Amino acid sequence: MISRLAGQSSGLFERWLKKRIPAASQLRLNHRRIFIMPARAGMGLLLLLVIMLIGAINYQNSLVYAVVFTLGALFWVGLHHTYRNLAGLELHATGSQPVFAGEEAQLGMALVSERKEHQAIVMRWPGMPPRQVDVAAGMNTTLALYYPTQRRGWLRPGRLRVETRYPLGWFVAWSLVDLDWQVLVYPKPLDLPLPGMHGTGEGQGDQQMVEGVDDFQGLRDYQPGDSKKRLDWRAWSRGQGLHSKIFADPQHDSQWLRLEQAPGQTLELQLGCMAGWVLKLERRRQPYGLELPGARIQPAVGEAHQSACLRALALYGITE
Amino acid sequence: MMAAHALIPRNSLVWLLTAQIVALIPHLPRLPLWVAAVWLGCAVWRVQIQRMHWNYPGLLLQVVVLAAVTLGTYLAQGTLIGLDAAVMMLLLLFMLKLLEMRKPRDALVVIYLGLFIVATAFLFNQSIALAIFQCFSLLILIAALVGLQQTPGRNDPVRAMRTAGVMLAQAVPLMLVLFVMFPRVGPLWAVNAPSSQARTGLAESMTPADVADLARSGELAFRAAFDGSPPPQHLLYWRAMTLPRFDGRSWSQSPLSAAGAPSVWQAQGEPVDYQIVTGASHQPWVFSLRGATTEDDRLLLNRDFILQARRPLTQNIAYHATSYPDSLLEPDGLAPLQQRINLQLPEGFDPRSRAFAAELRREYQRDADLIQALLSHFNQQPFHYTLRPPTLGRHSTDEFLFDSHRGFCAHYAGAMTFVLRAAGIPARVVAGYQGGEINLRGNHVLVHQFDAHAWVEAWLPGQGWVSFDPTFQVAPERIEEGLQFALRGEGSFLEDSPLSAVRYRNIGWVNNARLFWDDVNYQWQLRVLGYQSDRQMDFFQRWLGTADWQRIGLTSLGVLLLCMLPIAWWILRPAYRAANRQQRAWQKLNRRLARLQLQVQTGEGPRAWQQRLSTALPRQRSEIAAFFDAYVLLTYATAPDEASNQHVPALEQHLAVLLRALPRRRPPRPTRLAGLPDDDRER
Repeated sequence: MISRLAGQSSGLFERWLKKRIPAASQLRLNHRRIFIMPARAGMGLLLLLVIMLIGAINYQNSLVYAVVFTLGALFWVGLHHTYRNLAGLELHATGSQPVFAGEEAQLGMALVSERKEHQAIVMRWPGMPPRQVDVAAGMNTTLALYYPTQRRGWLRPGRLRVETRYPLGWFVAWSLVDLDWQVLVYPKPLDLPLPGMHGTGEGQGDQQMVEGVDDFQGLRDYQPGDSKKRLDWRAWSRGQGLHSKIFADPQHDSQWLRLEQAPGQTLELQLGCMAGWVLKLERRRQPYGLELPGARIQPAVGEAHQSACLRALALYGITE
Repeated sequence: MMAAHALIPRNSLVWLLTAQIVALIPHLPRLPLWVAAVWLGCAVWRVQIQRMHWNYPGLLLQVVVLAAVTLGTYLAQGTLIGLDAAVMMLLLLFMLKLLEMRKPRDALVVIYLGLFIVATAFLFNQSIALAIFQCFSLLILIAALVGLQQTPGRNDPVRAMRTAGVMLAQAVPLMLVLFVMFPRVGPLWAVNAPSSQARTGLAESMTPADVADLARSGELAFRAAFDGSPPPQHLLYWRAMTLPRFDGRSWSQSPLSAAGAPSVWQAQGEPVDYQIVTGASHQPWVFSLRGATTEDDRLLLNRDFILQARRPLTQNIAYHATSYPDSLLEPDGLAPLQQRINLQLPEGFDPRSRAFAAELRREYQRDADLIQALLSHFNQQPFHYTLRPPTLGRHSTDEFLFDSHRGFCAHYAGAMTFVLRAAGIPARVVAGYQGGEINLRGNHVLVHQFDAHAWVEAWLPGQGWVSFDPTFQVAPERIEEGLQFALRGEGSFLEDSPLSAVRYRNIGWVNNARLFWDDVNYQWQLRVLGYQSDRQMDFFQRWLGTADWQRIGLTSLGVLLLCMLPIAWWILRPAYRAANRQQRAWQKLNRRLARLQLQVQTGEGPRAWQQRLSTALPRQRSEIAAFFDAYVLLTYATAPDEASNQHVPALEQHLAVLLRALPRRRPPRPTRLAGLPDDDRER
């Protein structure tokens, strides 16, 4: 019962937060978005002040009063300094690269300060180690935050907590921002033998592939996605345009990867297996096509093709 | 807080050690030397821990050390209870915390303890000098707090200091409002006073026979401000206590003589109004002229016509009193108990003095005549006023009166009281201060510890208690001119304090400076240290015209808000500086060039501007080129990201070099001066 109530209230809070600080790939922290509370150190200070005040009253000591009031006034001043240290800071989400499930997603972020310096800004997701940076006035600070991934699909890290206790540590000012990060998480690749090539067949294939790579056939016009290693730099430097070298690939027909061929008890394992195959074939530069129920990618090779295949595997069965 | 597992960075440790030193300094003079040694030991150990050379002390060692410092405190203070011992213990724990400080949170504890210790120093000393020093201590402690919050690896002590200073400055107005407005109430419960603050000067008893060399301090005992001009010196007998009990050697107070409502007395003559400000002596006695009355309910008038505080003075006190110096005190007769107390003499002491008294008694029937005869005896016999009397044996009064003839006020007052009592006249020694220095600036009298004095009161039928001063017979200049004058031949005036400004009061400017400083101190005591409930009520009465707490409370809240809001606005005001550092550098250069009457024109590009500058300032050509190259590169050929990280600092560096190279003023144009004659140029 209580947990349900708590769940409900946290849902309410989420909704309220969503309205107050909507997801955006860039935002500026202002009074609508910043919360501030005394930190534990601040509560400790207040306790200390109460004890000192009792001493001042009992000893009727004007100067002890003065110390208490100085620190009390400093408490008030510190509140504004802590708030000011966060206010006006701009947060931008910069690019992020797809990762395989189980790896840490790298989320790029820039902190921009237009006029003021912002010191000791701590960023963290709940339950994860914090990251602390300073942002100098009129400067950009770029950094990458890491977020662990577990499942394939789109990763949307929750709200990032951006907080500061600077300068005195008596207050904590924070904001919970959703920088609208989306990271594509590929299935965790499994290293299994390719379908239809058992035992020596696979070894033979490897052998033939190596020969094929060395067997230069000719040039063709560069197409996006061609490996840089295969560009004909010499021709380019002579001003003859950008061409890719074509190598013979006589031994292998393009290989179709089908979901039903993939071993594994669960869909996730099957997809992981297929991701492993994609990587393997791409490494061999052997054309491969992908066939999933409801999706089909024609055989090809190259980085762009690999990304398309992995993306299809990552998003298979995920509706969004 | 930072992650709990983080260690304390080296930078923070430096802050903490500095903060500890400044917090400890004001306490160290009161404490035995080994306390400083303990701190040094802890600091060295801590530094060695940081350098991974030594380890944290184990539990056993901790227990042993704790026991040792507890024992040390006990030996130094004689007790473990009470303020002095508590503060000393706190200081030692504050030091030992260094060895137990592992996490940033422990560092916070050290700083909070430091803040507490800064405040406790004021329980022992409330001078202006300490107040100024403690402002500095607070600055360091707050800067240490800021230092702990700085991003590790980017610590900057100077910036931490500046941030702390700015914040403290912003806190001052609010602090002042709180100080004035916060309601002052009496102590919540009784507290014992720090003993080390008990002043020297007056003691509860007086044993002249044992004193070979009376050291007197130049410290101020109290100040008295008169309505109108102060009475002449020889009438300023400040009464603090009576010493009726004599045990053959010492004169001391008697509760039987003092306690109780004042006896019958008749106010006579012109009243004198005055206000006295005195420090926290932790003694109940206060000072008044003869025949004093007061409406101050913290004071009471004793049976022996002495004003006394109801409680020992744990703070500065300012009180008003009115005295009728010519009053008759107990003129109608002494109660039998009082008669006995004031005639009491121990058996078996001073036979010669007793014989002398008997002789006087035979000669003079009237008490007044006898007293006159005794005073002339002091006057005519070769008595000598000195602060270096010989020590005296068992029959001290005899030896003084008939052999040594040398002594100070206590000898004379004691001997005279003895003889009067032996002759059957009730008499007692009165202790207090005599005279004082008139500070023309503040129209008040400064009474120093060296003005301490003792004289005699004898009871005469029909007249009551009458004061006599035998010292006056021996050294009238002591009464009329002060101690310094009386001792001019002996050189013993404040000889233990060669630096005391009082010693040099015959040098004009030294004396002026001293009196000015004294006035500042007086105002400090009266307005700052003495700002307690009564003065606060006066203040509210004067400014709000009411003593109604509700109105005072509302007004205070209003003033508080009025003070808090502008501070908040000031802190949160938008930054006014140029948006980025590049523009700031540009503006800074142009501001500086404007002083040299060189101004960039609208629409003039950086290169054109550079050209013009190079012509105007040929010597700085290369520095100008360096700056403009960097500027142009930054403006036209750099991606924003790169700019912030490398090129802006470079630009700023070029700017600094250029600014240093620029002339302070525009170099004079030789063409204009060439035609003028020499003398014209001089004008």
